[in-house]
Amino acid sequence: MNTQVSLDLDVMLETQGLCKYWGGLKALDNISLQFYDKQLHGIVGPNGAGKSTLLNMLCGHYKPTQGSILHKGAAIEAIKSYAFARRGIGRSFQKTNIYPGATCLENCCVAVQRRMGGNFNFLRSRYTQKVLDEIATEALEKVGLGHRRNEVASHISYGEQRQLEIAMVLATSPEVLLLDEPMAGMGHEESQLIIELLKKLRREYCIVLVEHDMDAVFELSDQLTVMVDGQHLTTGSVDRVRDDPRVKEAYLGQGDEVF
Amino acid sequence: MLFNKRTERYFIWVFFPLALLMPLFLAENTFFVSKLTSVMIFALFVMSLDYLVGRCGLITLGHAMFYGLGGYLFWMIAPEYEAVNFWVYTFYICTIAAAVALVIGFLVLRTSGIYMIMITLAFAQMAFYFFSDSIEFGGNDGLFIYVKPETSIFGLSFFDLDNPIHFYYLCLLSLFNTLVFFRVLIRSRFGRVVDAINENPGRTTALGYNIFMYRLMSYVIASALGAYAGYLFTLQYGFVNPSMMAWTTSGSALVMSILGGMGSIYGAILGTFAYEGLHYLLEHLTEYWMLFMGILIIAMVMIFKNGIAGYMEKLLEKRI
Repeated sequence: MNTQVSLDLDVMLETQGLCKYWGGLKALDNISLQFYDKQLHGIVGPNGAGKSTLLNMLCGHYKPTQGSILHKGAAIEAIKSYAFARRGIGRSFQKTNIYPGATCLENCCVAVQRRMGGNFNFLRSRYTQKVLDEIATEALEKVGLGHRRNEVASHISYGEQRQLEIAMVLATSPEVLLLDEPMAGMGHEESQLIIELLKKLRREYCIVLVEHDMDAVFELSDQLTVMVDGQHLTTGSVDRVRDDPRVKEAYLGQGDEVF
Repeated sequence: MLFNKRTERYFIWVFFPLALLMPLFLAENTFFVSKLTSVMIFALFVMSLDYLVGRCGLITLGHAMFYGLGGYLFWMIAPEYEAVNFWVYTFYICTIAAAVALVIGFLVLRTSGIYMIMITLAFAQMAFYFFSDSIEFGGNDGLFIYVKPETSIFGLSFFDLDNPIHFYYLCLLSLFNTLVFFRVLIRSRFGRVVDAINENPGRTTALGYNIFMYRLMSYVIASALGAYAGYLFTLQYGFVNPSMMAWTTSGSALVMSILGGMGSIYGAILGTFAYEGLHYLLEHLTEYWMLFMGILIIAMVMIFKNGIAGYMEKLLEKRI
């Protein structure tokens, strides 16, 4: 299916026959996908297609009913959920998921500190490590929030909270970014910021992007997967997927003329 | 941040000098000194609970188990008619209590919220009935401690535990050290992760933290300090009995923590003094003190949304 992709790209993350059943409901059915390093892989589909479920399994939040997830060739579906992040798989959430009571810098510091060690250091003050602050600030600046550094996270605008969300993922220095609708609920200008940001990031990380904004996905994706009702419909380059009659049918069946 | 450090600093500068000077004026009034001592001991216990409930978000109704355990452990491991070293036995008791907390925490912390309240209560009740039903541990009447420890370090002894004023200062020192310890702990890198877990556990897991380990560590620390408070209580009154472990002890400690301002740590001292002060006053005014106590506590909790500590901070912020 991915024959048009040149084979010199590294497979970062791979799913093999991934299934998730909720009782009798097949939320995901036999999904086999490959995500390449330094590529942006878009996932689209109507509501209830299983996009978020897939992302939740890729980050270890749900355990698959069947099938396996390979990270650099090693099966990781059985490891603990926090261990996914330690392997460099970071994710952002569909609903803003930050520490609202802390400053933006502190939000990122929590993310950075995990790999800096000293987490069970009971005596040393959290404010003494300059390196930690620097990396956190760097992550904030990357998403364009440098000027909001010392603001309390609940006081910044919604769009900025979404940016902060991405900054926190970047602060963990991941290899894989799983982004769950980073532009959800954003105005046009704010989404434009995120699109610019993702354009910068997509050559540095392996990014899996679930998004409803079709224009953005078409603009950004190297690879595009369409999912319908928990099933994998097609995967390929944006142009190929756009012209696929099955995709049109799936979306037209919803009465939703996106293409 | 809800509880700012300025108010805490003011509080420390007012409370501790006052407490330090108190015996100068009231040294003859032994009842008052011993009352203050027992309130400070309980404040230490409430502080350890406040850290668990307010800072870690772990609501427990079984914390009194460790309070009682501190006392029983001393009886168990110390020889009956021989003065032991206070500091050495502090270390023993805290270590054993920490080991017990490690095992219990391992089971208890798999749950959260209301389930955790129930399971901690179940453990505490188990311990309560174990000690109140066993003849070896004195049953309902508890046990007497005949000899108080001596407190020498390298041959130097600063406190004579049979002297109430000395014991008062020992408890004041313990309270101060515990407060400082919690301040350092909260400010530490460990404290950062604990704050993060309290605010958003899901996100903290997604960032790669094994939140169970942090909760377990907090539980162990708080439990060891709770046992230390129980040990001091036992030394003050010279006895240990199962009612120290009763769930009502946990319950009133929880009320004091809420009254003082959950998560503020120094609020534990405020809450305990307010509660015990009210208790003392009403007890002497009327036979139905519990009724008025209940009404007053409800009123205070409703007026001070973030406890007395929170109210103080609001006042100070307005002034400055």
